[in-house]
Amino acid sequence: MGLGFLVPAFFAGLAALLVPIVLHLRHRERNQPRRFPSLMFLRRIPIRTASRRRITDWLLLLLRAAAVAFLVAAFSRPFLGSTVAETRSTPARAVVLLLDRSLSMSHAAVWPVALDSARQIIAGLAPADRIAVVLFDDEAEVAQPLSSDHGAALAAINAARPSSRGTRYASALRAARQILGGARGLVGEALVVTDMQRSGLSGLAGLELPADLGVRAILVAPALRPNAAVVGADVQRVSDGDRSRLLVAARVLSRDLGGPRRVRLALAVNGREAASREVSLPADGATMVTFDGVPMAAGRARATIALPADPLAADDTLHLVIPAEDALQVLVVAAPGARLEETLFLERALAIGHEPRFVVQRRSGAPLTTAALRNIAVVFLADTPVPAGSGGAALLAWVEAGGGLIEAAGRRLSSRPPAAAFLPGTIRGAVERMDDRGGAFGEVSLDHAIFAPFRGGGAAALGASRFLSYPRIEPATGAEVLARFDDGAPALIEKAQGGGRVLLLAAPLDAVTGDFPLQPAYLPFLRRLAIYASGHEARPPWNTSGESGLVPGSVRDPVISTPSGALLRPGADSTGRALALGEAGFYDVYEGRAAGEPVESFAVNAPAAESDLTPADARELLLGVQRGDSAQAVASEPPAPREREGRQRLWRLLLAAALLVLLVESVIANRGWRGMAETGLAAPPERSLS
Amino acid sequence: MTAPATYLDPVLLARIGDLALLARMVVDGFMHGMHRSRRVGLSLDFAEHRAYQPGDDIRRVDWRLYGRTDRFYVKEYEADTNAAVTFALDASASMDFGSGPVTKFTYGRMLVAALAWLSQRQGDRVGLVTFAGDLLEIVPPSTRHLRLILHTLGRARPGGAGQLRPMLDRAASLTTRAGVTVVVSDCYEDPVAVQKGVGSLRGRGHDVILFHLLDPAERDLPGDGAATFEDAESGELLPLRPESLREKYRAQVAGHRAELTRLLAQNGTDYVGLTTDQPLDVALHAYLEQRLATSRVR
Repeated sequence: MGLGFLVPAFFAGLAALLVPIVLHLRHRERNQPRRFPSLMFLRRIPIRTASRRRITDWLLLLLRAAAVAFLVAAFSRPFLGSTVAETRSTPARAVVLLLDRSLSMSHAAVWPVALDSARQIIAGLAPADRIAVVLFDDEAEVAQPLSSDHGAALAAINAARPSSRGTRYASALRAARQILGGARGLVGEALVVTDMQRSGLSGLAGLELPADLGVRAILVAPALRPNAAVVGADVQRVSDGDRSRLLVAARVLSRDLGGPRRVRLALAVNGREAASREVSLPADGATMVTFDGVPMAAGRARATIALPADPLAADDTLHLVIPAEDALQVLVVAAPGARLEETLFLERALAIGHEPRFVVQRRSGAPLTTAALRNIAVVFLADTPVPAGSGGAALLAWVEAGGGLIEAAGRRLSSRPPAAAFLPGTIRGAVERMDDRGGAFGEVSLDHAIFAPFRGGGAAALGASRFLSYPRIEPATGAEVLARFDDGAPALIEKAQGGGRVLLLAAPLDAVTGDFPLQPAYLPFLRRLAIYASGHEARPPWNTSGESGLVPGSVRDPVISTPSGALLRPGADSTGRALALGEAGFYDVYEGRAAGEPVESFAVNAPAAESDLTPADARELLLGVQRGDSAQAVASEPPAPREREGRQRLWRLLLAAALLVLLVESVIANRGWRGMAETGLAAPPERSLS
Repeated sequence: MTAPATYLDPVLLARIGDLALLARMVVDGFMHGMHRSRRVGLSLDFAEHRAYQPGDDIRRVDWRLYGRTDRFYVKEYEADTNAAVTFALDASASMDFGSGPVTKFTYGRMLVAALAWLSQRQGDRVGLVTFAGDLLEIVPPSTRHLRLILHTLGRARPGGAGQLRPMLDRAASLTTRAGVTVVVSDCYEDPVAVQKGVGSLRGRGHDVILFHLLDPAERDLPGDGAATFEDAESGELLPLRPESLREKYRAQVAGHRAELTRLLAQNGTDYVGLTTDQPLDVALHAYLEQRLATSRVR
């Protein structure tokens, strides 16, 4: 039988032994002090003050010290038990080693330490312990299932490499829960080897873990990790006559640099350095760096914005794909005999802006033909009906093939309603609002893509427009009303037609029957209307690692080259065309074989949040985590609660002993058995009276 | 003949709340036991004639003598009827001590009241200064301020640490006219400092009488057994056994008083040591003796 302590840290409380000694030495009479006018004369009489520093009541002092010692020992929870027996009864453990391999772990000062920590954990396991290795970033990958093969776990650790992806501790803990759910009879423990990046804590709230699953974080990152990263960029292609120029502004994040740092930021286009800027980065903060315009060809380009390499090199380069210059062709069809001014606002508004750029053609009176509609993305019928005959048929075919038709109805159509079957509504005369100072937009579907610019308070700008007269339209079956006037009449309705979209707009686009063209909402409304009708989808200049890209269906027998140089051949089905973008860099899509110019490219970067290395407290790992019922039973029976309690009962005896000693001390102290501190005379320097 | 003990016993007097009544009783009782003072009417005693000088009050011209001699002479009298008597009462916390029913402060207050009453009866202008670490109350000397002095004494309360010397310095600077200053204090200060403080008053022409009040317990340090003594002013604690220190303490107190007597005598200051169990006539006698000694001033 050996004596052990459950909470030996309480032995630090033995320092409290000094308290009775100090109190004893500083003892003062407990009686009320005698007030005396002045101690002037008494102070002049030398008093042997040394006697006050002498311990005069050894018995009391020992009793008090013993009481403190007993209390400390009681709180340390002593227990009796056989060490051998305890060892035998200790059940085997099931350890899930969760190794963080997110981008932030690739820091030069972190990854080797993380591997060493993981190896030490494996080395510290008992032979009967089982271990699983899970590598996680924003997803968890079981590198080694739960087994007693510690060597395999070690091999899995040695093979681990940091990824380019973000951090999500929730996915790691879910994997641990799943693994340990199948390990019945073992004491489960999840050890998270991580840099405890704060951005990885999202998603933990609500996660449910078994109550007896121990989770411990092993921090492997230093408190301060200086880091600079290119976390974003605004890219704009500006047409300059026949040529175009690329304007790039990069956003650089710096953290814990310890002071301003001067760095060179380089912009490379298609592998060649095109521009560079010397910038001074603040110790903590974000910096926007604008490069000089770079001339470039009309085609697609790949670009990188790079900082000099620092200990976390993976976020020092931002990869971009600049799409080929794509201008959407818009055909504005005016009524025969219409004046140029009638479509002036419409044409000018569409000509402004980029991404995408609109190239506007105006047509009046000439019949629409299939040839005329080739390469056209959007057709605006400016207060003119859908042409009849072959023109109408060509237009319908074009719409069904994916074209976007917008019928902008006005005064002419109000008086002579068209009879096109594929329009989403029928025009029934006009609504005159001269008497009530004009109508305005009323109910608007702000969640629709057309009205996206007016979300979050922008609807007021839309409602500022006044319309004195507008066509009254009646939605057709299957048409969706996207906006209404304030009198409830539909203002914009939409209907899908084959692969294309047809929209009927009742809000006048001229400045004669309203002031819409003069209002700030006009320009964004028209652009979004045209973009939506065309079906154009702007691709982001880069994807975040972990997202997926879609290989265009037009690519036959696609071959994909990954940033690490591997070649992938996705399947022909739609699932196979979804490309998992896991690595930072460029994914190039080739047709047939990986040679020549890629038909498509994807730029992939790590999440910007991953560059913020701010650590969280390890306790936050379980913040918001719900503890469920015990998921497992322990195979080897531990001591029964009563037996375990019996072994730990010593603290009660010690507490009783402390109380007894304090009782004796009180009796002795109060009955005056204590010796009186003596004051005596010594020969210290005496002050003169004169 | 001595005064009846009834009128002068401090224990009995302390029961009288009205200081005016108390002072009157003390003075009347005291006077009852004395011969009539020859100082009464003294201020009207003729001294000599002097030749008139421009600026002299013409009412003082002796017209009879002018009639006889055809020259202007003015009469001069031996008089100090308007002497200013300022009572400086120590109101520090150490004065709030009494082993019996009368504290030093109560005794000092009765003493000042009685002396003020007595001075007023003699035609003096009376004033009051109470002090501890600072001057607490100041009543300028005036023939009409007796009631105010008694009222001020009645509401005075002892407290705070006392500083005798700087307070005497400041009291000396309160008036430019010479007069009599009566200091009532327990003199817990170095005798040399007390001498210098009194010297400030003397230097401005004041006659000074210092009543040094002590409680019998202060003088004798009674008590047996260990006890912790607490300084009434500083709050300092000192554990000791009085019986083992008594003799040395008494020697210290006696030495202190002797030193005060010696040093103040060098200054020409009257030092009167009193304990609070002594009748007030001791103080009154001493006061009148001093006034007699210094009265003949022109």
